[in-house]
Order: sequence, then C-alpha cells, then structure tokens
Amino acid sequence: MAVLTIKNLAKTFNVGTPRASRVLDDISFDVRGGTFVSIVGPSGCGKSTLLNIISGVEEHTSGDISLTSDSGGPARMGYVFQDPRLLPWRSVMKNMMYVQNDRSEATAGRCRKYLEMVGLTKNADFFPGQLSGGMQQRVGIARAFAVEPDLLLMDEPFSHLDAITARGLRAQLQDIWAQSKKTVVFVTHDVVEAVELSDRIIVLQPGGRIYEDITIDLPRPRRQTDPTVATLQAEVLGRLEAMKTLSRTPSSAAA
Amino acid sequence: MTDQLVRTAPPTDPEAGAKRTAKRRRLRLTGLVILGWVAMFALWEYGSWWFGSRLLPRPIEVFQAGVEIVESGNFVTDFSASVLKTFAGFAVAAAVGAPIGYLMGRYNYWRAFFHDGVTIAGTIPAIVYAVMSLIVFGLSNLGPILAVALVSAPYIALNVAEGIRGVDKSLVTMSEAFGRTPQQIRREVLIPTIVPFVFAAIRMCFAVAWKVEALTEVFGGRNGVGFQIRTEYQLYDIAAVLAWMFLFIVFMLIIERLVLAKSEARLLAWRPQERSSAL
Ligand SMILES: Nc1ncnc2c1ncn2[C@@H]1O[C@H](COP(=O)(O)OP(=O)(O)O)[C@@H](O)[C@H]1O
Ligand SMILES: [Mg+2]
Repeated sequence: MAVLTIKNLAKTFNVGTPRASRVLDDISFDVRGGTFVSIVGPSGCGKSTLLNIISGVEEHTSGDISLTSDSGGPARMGYVFQDPRLLPWRSVMKNMMYVQNDRSEATAGRCRKYLEMVGLTKNADFFPGQLSGGMQQRVGIARAFAVEPDLLLMDEPFSHLDAITARGLRAQLQDIWAQSKKTVVFVTHDVVEAVELSDRIIVLQPGGRIYEDITIDLPRPRRQTDPTVATLQAEVLGRLEAMKTLSRTPSSAAA
Repeated sequence: MTDQLVRTAPPTDPEAGAKRTAKRRRLRLTGLVILGWVAMFALWEYGSWWFGSRLLPRPIEVFQAGVEIVESGNFVTDFSASVLKTFAGFAVAAAVGAPIGYLMGRYNYWRAFFHDGVTIAGTIPAIVYAVMSLIVFGLSNLGPILAVALVSAPYIALNVAEGIRGVDKSLVTMSEAFGRTPQQIRREVLIPTIVPFVFAAIRMCFAVAWKVEALTEVFGGRNGVGFQIRTEYQLYDIAAVLAWMFLFIVFMLIIERLVLAKSEARLLAWRPQERSSAL
C-alpha cells in the first residue's frame, strides 16, 4: 500500500512577484510502505523544498499530496536534517522526548531503545554540546525513528560529516532501517550513497522535474566493499552523466 | 643573511624563564594593589584631619561603627528589607518589561511602536526615577520598588527583544516538522533562548538598582538600609552613615557574585563555557 502519493505537484516561490521562480514542476510518484526511496539531484534542484512540502512545513502551489497512516489517524512524520537541530539546553534523552506525543514509560523505553541502536545509551544525560558532530547526528536519527513515524524524511543527513563518520552512520542507518522497516524518503546529492541505501532512486533534474526513476535490486546488507554494489553505483552514475549536458541547456537556469 | 638562517635554541629552559617572569609580574601587581589601598586610607586619614573627624570620621571610627551595627544584629531586618524591595522591583520590571520585549522581538510593528519609548526610558538617569517614585508614593515602601522597576524594565525589555530575535529558526522548523504545538515551541525553544539575555539584563540592572533603591529609601523609606542612613544622618552620626553604606556595598557585592552569578551558571549549565563553574 502506498504511504505517500504525490500527483502533479508544482511549487513556485514568490508567486505573483517579479521574483517568482518555479522550483518543482509536475512531480508525480508514490512511495510504498516499508520501502527506502532516495531523491537524488544536483544542489538547488528543489530536493529540500520537496521534503518540506511533504512534511507540511512548506505550502505547495498546485497538485496533490496524500499520506496514509497505519493507525488511521493523522500520519506521523519524523525528520532528520542536514544539521542535528537538537535543543542545546536539553539533555539527549530530553531532546528525544521533546518530539514525542506522550511522556509515558513505554515512550521513554522506545527512546532508550533507539538510543541504544545508535550506540549512545551512555550519553543519554549529556547535553548536545558535549557530543561530537557525528554523535549529535546519531541522536537526530534516533529521535526521528523513535517517534515511530509512518513516514521518515531525511535531508542529506550525512553531508556535513567527514567521510569516515558518514560511512559508519550509513551502515548504522541500514541496520536500524532493516530492524524497523520504516518508510523512508531520503534526499541526497550523492548517487553512490543513494545506491547503497535505497530500494529506489528518483532523480530530479535542475528545474525540478523527475529525470529518472531507478529501482535498485540488491541484497542487503550492502557494504561499500561489495563489488556488485560498486558496479551498480558506477552504472547509475553513468546514466546520470547525460543529465549534466541536459542541465547546461539555457532553459534550466536553476542549476 | 646567514645569521637569520642559523638559529640556535637559547641556552636556558625557555618555559622556566617565562614562569619566573610571570611570577615576578604577579608579585609586582599585588604590591601595587596593596599600595593603592594604603594610599586610599592615607588620603582618608588626611581628609579627616583636615575637615575634622566630626565632618569626615576616621577609617577606624567607621570600622568601629560598622562592628557596632553588626553586633547589634538589627542590620539583618534592614538588609533583608532592602534586598526584598530590590527583588520586588525586579519582579515588577520583568512582569512589564518581558512581555514588551517579547512583542518587540517577535513583531516588527510592535518593535516600531515601542522602540523609541523604551530606548528613551533606558537613557533617563536613575535619580529622575527615584524622584518620580518619591513624588508618587511619598513616605512608603512602594517608592523604592517603583524606582527599581522603572530603572530595570527598559533593560529587560530590550534584552528580551534581542533574545527573541536571536532564536534559532532551524529549531522552530524542526519543532514544526515534528508537529509540536506553538505553546511547546514557546516553552522549549523561545524561553530557553531568552533566559541568558534576561540574566544579562538583571545583572546589568542590579548594579544600578540597589543604589537607586537605597537612595529612594534615604528620602522616602520606612525601613531598609537607606532609612537607617537617613536616621543616622539626622543624628549627625556620619561614622554610622558611612558604616551602613560600606556594609551595604559589601553585602550587595556578595549577592551579585554569589547568588546571581551562581544561579546563572546553574541555569545555563548546558553552555560549554558555563559547565565547569556550575558543577
Ligand atoms: N524560501 C525560499 N524563497 C525563494 N526561493 C527559495 C526558497 N527556498 C528555496 N528556494 C530556491 O529553491 C531552489 C531549490 O532549493 P532547495 O530545495 O533547497 O534545493 P536542494 O535542496 O535541492 O539543494 C533554490 O534555487 C533556492 O534558491
Ligand atoms: Mg537541500
């Protein structure tokens, strides 16, 4: 069953002003429950805008979005940002509890479970300022999983980290995802990362249209060292080479 | 050219040398501090001799008067009366200044409305507020409270406004993305952001506030340190006047350093630079 359905979605910033700019154009796709979908595209092509529209932080100009939830109530969403976005004046555990809808012992237990999955049980009472950037980002990931979202949105969560930390976190994310089977929409500009993590990659091109929709059919867990992963990464990269020439045409100035 | 390229290490251990220099500097500075105090007391003694000790009592007389005040024990009620009035004034200032600051920080229209008025109110000399409070309340304990409130409210408003404008928008977006309500965002994001600014305002005001409080008490108080100073002045006991003043200065400095600084450090323990002093 589709958790997220998007039909003919378009977004124009500053509608009706001389500065009006179309960022997303005629986007349609749906995301089946329990799948990991990546949105890939060059910087500025509207990926973050798309996520913000899905999460409801941003309004869209035209088209339809529908979300369904398991519970039948309003769909619950989790969000992992590029930066950790933790409250600096709250401990790690209190940050996890802040985004929860209730303060029950069961909820606290769930928060502790996800903290354990990212290996931060010992740091539950630390303030964010006492953790490294990578650890803070892990709290951000645990926080988003711990709300048990119907849809988990991630916006380039590893792009601010060094390569070694990012690699470790990608592996950890795969493990957590394998255990929780959440529906994930993951934004990245890194095709290699997308191939490693996703069941499916939706490629956006400058100007905010869908360029390609690629299914990644590889066994999990996937590791960087696995040659079949590397081969597929090279192949997808090759297919996107064509977009580079496309992006240089005058019609798509957004790049 | 060559002597620039060939550099040999100095024969002695440079670190030990630096330590010795630093120690010598510290000693010299301490010496100057002591010399400063000696000079001050010498000048005071000379002044007493020149004006006569009835007009300007000698340091030892003031010290004795201070000991008498402390031994009699009645300074406790007057000190606590003054401190209570100062903090009551702060409470009033916060109740008025914080909402105004919130509006100024949050909405540009309210900022336009309040900005000039609040800035002017913050520039008016404290003595004017003291006189105004005396006119309003006459001989009453409310005068000092009003004076403190009037002096402090503009600072609190401006600092809260500054704090609100400094709120991290990305934390607000995060909260919205997780479906937090506006009340939750206010309590968990906005208020913690402005707490340091309010503390800065209170500490800034405190230095002025207790002086204004005592001053207002001198002319219109019914108890408190200022009231005692007036009483002693009417008895023409200048030594006691000075003793009350010095005791109050010491007491307020202690409150400033211990109470305010410590509670600030505790509340702001999450900040890396505060953590070491709080725990
Ligand atoms: N609030 C906004 N107002 C106007 N333009 C915006 C706004 N937010 C983003 N944009 C523009 O939309 C385009 C896409 O931005 P974004 O979605 O952040 O791209 P990406 O995440 O793919 O790098 C950019 O050209 C950006 O300048
Ligand atoms: Mg982005």
